[in-house]
Amino acid sequence: MLLIQLAWRNLFRNGRRTFLTCLLLTSSLVVIILMDGLILGMLGVMVGGITQTLEGEAQIYKAGFRDRFDSTLYLESPQSILNVLNQDETLLAYAPRVVVPAVIGSSYNTLGGMVYGVDPEKEAATSRLRQALIEGEYLSDKPRALLMGRLMAEKLEIGIGDRVVLTASAVDNNELVQGLFRVSGIVQFGPKELDESFVFIHIKGAQALFQLGDGLHQIALRFKDFEDANRSDLALASKIEGENIEFKGWLALQPGIGAMLEMTSYSTLIIGTVLFLFASLGVINAIFMSIYERLYELAIAKAIGTRPAFIGGLIVLEAFGLALISCSIGLPIAYCLMTYFAGSGLPLGGNIEFSGVVLGGRLYPELALHQFVQFPVYVILLTLVAAIYPALFAARITPARSLQKAL
Amino acid sequence: MSIVIEAQNLKRCYGSGVTLVAAVNDVSFSIEQGEFTAIIGPSGSGKSTLLNLIGGLDQPDAGRVLLQGQDIATMTGNAISDFRRDHIGFIFQAYNLIPVLSAHENIEYIMLLQGVPTLNRQARVLEMLELVGLSGLGHRRPSELSGGQQQRVAVARAMASQPDIILADEPTANLDSKTGAGLLDLMRDLNAAHGLTFLFSTHDQMIMERAQRLVHIKDGILEQDETR
Ligand SMILES: Nc1ncnc2c1ncn2[C@@H]1O[C@H](COP(=O)(O)OP(=O)(O)OP(=O)(O)O)[C@@H](O)[C@H]1O
Ligand SMILES: [Mg+2]
Repeated sequence: MLLIQLAWRNLFRNGRRTFLTCLLLTSSLVVIILMDGLILGMLGVMVGGITQTLEGEAQIYKAGFRDRFDSTLYLESPQSILNVLNQDETLLAYAPRVVVPAVIGSSYNTLGGMVYGVDPEKEAATSRLRQALIEGEYLSDKPRALLMGRLMAEKLEIGIGDRVVLTASAVDNNELVQGLFRVSGIVQFGPKELDESFVFIHIKGAQALFQLGDGLHQIALRFKDFEDANRSDLALASKIEGENIEFKGWLALQPGIGAMLEMTSYSTLIIGTVLFLFASLGVINAIFMSIYERLYELAIAKAIGTRPAFIGGLIVLEAFGLALISCSIGLPIAYCLMTYFAGSGLPLGGNIEFSGVVLGGRLYPELALHQFVQFPVYVILLTLVAAIYPALFAARITPARSLQKAL
Repeated sequence: MSIVIEAQNLKRCYGSGVTLVAAVNDVSFSIEQGEFTAIIGPSGSGKSTLLNLIGGLDQPDAGRVLLQGQDIATMTGNAISDFRRDHIGFIFQAYNLIPVLSAHENIEYIMLLQGVPTLNRQARVLEMLELVGLSGLGHRRPSELSGGQQQRVAVARAMASQPDIILADEPTANLDSKTGAGLLDLMRDLNAAHGLTFLFSTHDQMIMERAQRLVHIKDGILEQDETR
C-alpha cells in the first residue's frame, strides 16, 4: 500500500517527464495497433481479391487438372458431388465450371485464351464476374452470349454485339470444334492476365460445344466463414475427396499467399520489435533520470532502514504505473483512430497491383481483439523489463556514498 | 549505566597507494545509555566517516562496532537494513524527509517498515509531532515547512522507531544559529525527559556548550574524550 502510494506520487512529481515518457509509450502502442490493423486490412483485401475474383475459397477438380489445365481431366459424373454441396451447411455458394483453352477470333484478329463455361446465377454468387461487367449485359439463358475481358476486346478490336468464333478441340476426341458467339458484355477484373485472356459463356453451351456431357472441370466454392476453406479437418472435404478427385482450400491453391501472409507477419514482428526497442530505451533513460534526481532521498530512505528490495520494487512499480497510464490513454486513442479509418479508409493515392491483386483507392484497417489485448500486455511487459536494470541500480545505492555525493 | 554502542579499534581508509587517507584511524570509545555526546573536530577530521561506521552505513576496514553485543560491521543486505530500522535513529544535515510524503507520513513511514499496527502508529505519530512542537502541522509536505521544522520532523521520525541511539551528523549545519539552538534544546530536553541517547557530530561552538560529553577527533584520531 505504502509502495503504491509512493510510486503514484513520485510519478506526478516531474509531470513533464512522466508526460513525455507516456507519450512515447502511448504513441508506440497506437502506431503498432494501427500498423497491425492496416496489414490485416491489406491482407484481407489481397486474400479476398484472389479468392473472390474468380478462384473461389476452395476448388474441387480432377486430380492433375490444375497442373496444366488439361481439359481432358474432368469430373465425368459430378452429380453426386453437387448433391453433397447442395446439402452442406458451411457453404455460402458454389460455381460449377467448364474450362477449356481455345483460339478466340474476331474478323480482325485471333488470340489464344481460356473459355469458361459458367452457370450465370451460381457464378454471380461465388465470384465477381457479375460485378466485373463494365459494359453490356450479364450472361443469361441466351445460348450465344459471351462475356469478354476488356483488354482482349481491345486487341480483337471488337465491342458489344460483334461476332466471335471459338475454336478448340473436343475434349474426348481430337476433333476440331467451333462455335459462333456474340459479345454481350465486357468485363474488367483488374489483373491483366484475367482481362486479356478470359471469355465466359453459358455452361450448357460449353458442355455441348466441347462434347463434355454433364462433365465439369472445376467447382469453385465459397464458405460462410472463409477460414473453413483451409481447415484440414473439414467434413465436406473428406466427403468429396476421393480417387482422382481433389479438394483444395485457397492456401493450398495459392501457396504464394501463404508465403506472403507469413512474410507480412514477420515484418510486423520486426517493425514492432524495433519500435518497442526504441521505446524501451526511452523508458530506461527516463527512469534513470528520475533515480539520479532522487539519489539523496533514496539514500536517506535506505539509511533509515528501507530494504533494497523495497527501493527496487518502488522503481518497478513506478514503471508499471507509467505503462498503465500509457495504455489507458493509448487504447482509446487507437480505438478511435481505428474505427474512424475502418469506416472511411486510408487513401492510398493510386492503384497498387500486388501478387495479381489490385489494391485501389482506399485501404481499410481491420480491428481485431488481439490488438487491444496483446499489444498493451507487450507494452506493460516491455516497460517492466526496461525497469529491471534501473531498479537493481537503485536497490544497490550505498547510503554513505550517495549522501556524501549528493550534497 | 549500560553500554549502548561500542566502537573498537575502528579504521576506515579512502584511496590507495600514495593517496591513501585514514579517515578514521584506530578509534575506540563507548556510549552509555542516556548520554548526550558530541563528536567534534575540524572539517575533514573524520566525523561523518565515524558516524557512518557506527550507524552501519559504511563498513570499517578494521575494528568492530558492537550494539548490544552484536557486531554491525559484519552485517549485510536485509539484516543491516532491518538493524538500522529497529535500533538506530538517523538525522542528517538536511533534506531528511521524503518529499512526496507529508510530515505525518514521514514519521509514519519508518513504523510502517517496522510493521507497527495502524492504531498504535497513528497515536505515536501524533505524540511525536507534539514532542517536537509541530502539532497541527502533520499534513504539510516538507517543502511547506521551514528548515528548522523539517529537522524537527526528522527528530520525530528518528524517535518514532524507538531506537537504542540517535545519530545526528551536523544536524544544525544548515540552520541559522537561533533555529539551531532551538533544535539542540529540543534534543537536549528529549534526552533529559525520555532518556534518549544522542550521538552527534558538529564543529559548532554552541552545540558543544550543550553537550555533556565531547569526543574530539582530528585527522581520524581520537584526541580527547571529556565528560562534563
Ligand atoms: N568517499 C571518499 N573518498 C575519498 N576520501 C574521502 C571520502 N570521504 C571522505 N574522505 C576523506 O576522509 C576524511 C574525513 O572525511 P569526513 O567527511 O569524515 O570528515 P568530516 O569531519 O565529516 O568533515 P566535515 O566537517 O567537512 O563534514 C577527509 O580527509 C576526506 O577528504
Ligand atoms: Mg561531515
